[in-house]
Amino acid sequence: MARNRLYAILLAACVAGLHWVAYAYQTPAETTGVCIIKHTTHVPCPSCGSTRSVLSLLHGDVSGAMWWNPLGFILLAIMVVTPIWILFDLATRKSTLHKFYHKAELMLKRRWIALPAIALVLVNWVWNIYKGI
Amino acid sequence: MESQKVDMFLMANGKFFESHHLNAIRDRLITLDDSKWPMLQTLQLKDPTTSLIVSILAGSLGIDRFMIGDTGMGVGKLLTCGGLGIWAIIDWFMIQGATREKNMEKMQQILY
Repeated sequence: MARNRLYAILLAACVAGLHWVAYAYQTPAETTGVCIIKHTTHVPCPSCGSTRSVLSLLHGDVSGAMWWNPLGFILLAIMVVTPIWILFDLATRKSTLHKFYHKAELMLKRRWIALPAIALVLVNWVWNIYKGI
Repeated sequence: MESQKVDMFLMANGKFFESHHLNAIRDRLITLDDSKWPMLQTLQLKDPTTSLIVSILAGSLGIDRFMIGDTGMGVGKLLTCGGLGIWAIIDWFMIQGATREKNMEKMQQILY
C-alpha cells in the first residue's frame, strides 16, 4: 500500500476512534454498543468491551481495563502513538511508519508468531463469552 | 509469448483483475519470454467473489482482509469490532477491488 494512502487510512481510523472514546466518555456505558456481531447474535466478539476497557484506563483503573478487555491497552497505545508518528513522518518527510507497518505485516505472517496470536485472540474471545460482556 | 496464448490466459483469469489492468497485463505478457508460462499458469490468485462472501459473513473479525494477505488492515478490523461496524460495511463494497489490486501485486512479481 502506498505511504500516503496508508497514513490517510490510519489517521482517519485514529481520529474516528478518539472521537468515539470522547463520545462514550460522556455517555452512559449501556447505550454505546455498536458491535454488529453482538447485536445480531447476542454473542460478544473478541474485541467487545474494549471501549469500556479504554474508558477504565482513562479513569486510572488498570485492573478494570484488564478485566473488560486486554485489547484496550493495545488500542489506546495505537490511538495515541500513531497520529504522533504520522505527524513526525510528515514533518520530516520520512516514511518510518510505512516501513514499520510492512515489517510488522511480514512478521505477523510468520507461523510461529501468527499461531500464538490467533490462539490469544481465541482465548480472549472465549473469556469474553464467559464474562458475558 | 504468442498473442493467442496471452488472450487465453486473460479470458480465463480476467475476473481476477481490474479492467484497467488488463491492457497493461496483455501488453507486458506479449513481450515476455515463453519460459514464464509455467509460473503464470501456477500463479495462485484470489477470487473476488469468495472474499465478498467472507467479508459479509466474517468481515467484523477482519477475516476477509487476512485472506487476501492484507494482514495490517485485518488486525485493525479485528481489534476494533470491524471499525465499530462501519469499516466492515464499507468493506462489503471495497473488498472485491482490494482483492483485484492484491492479485495485480502478485502478477507484477512475475511480469517485472
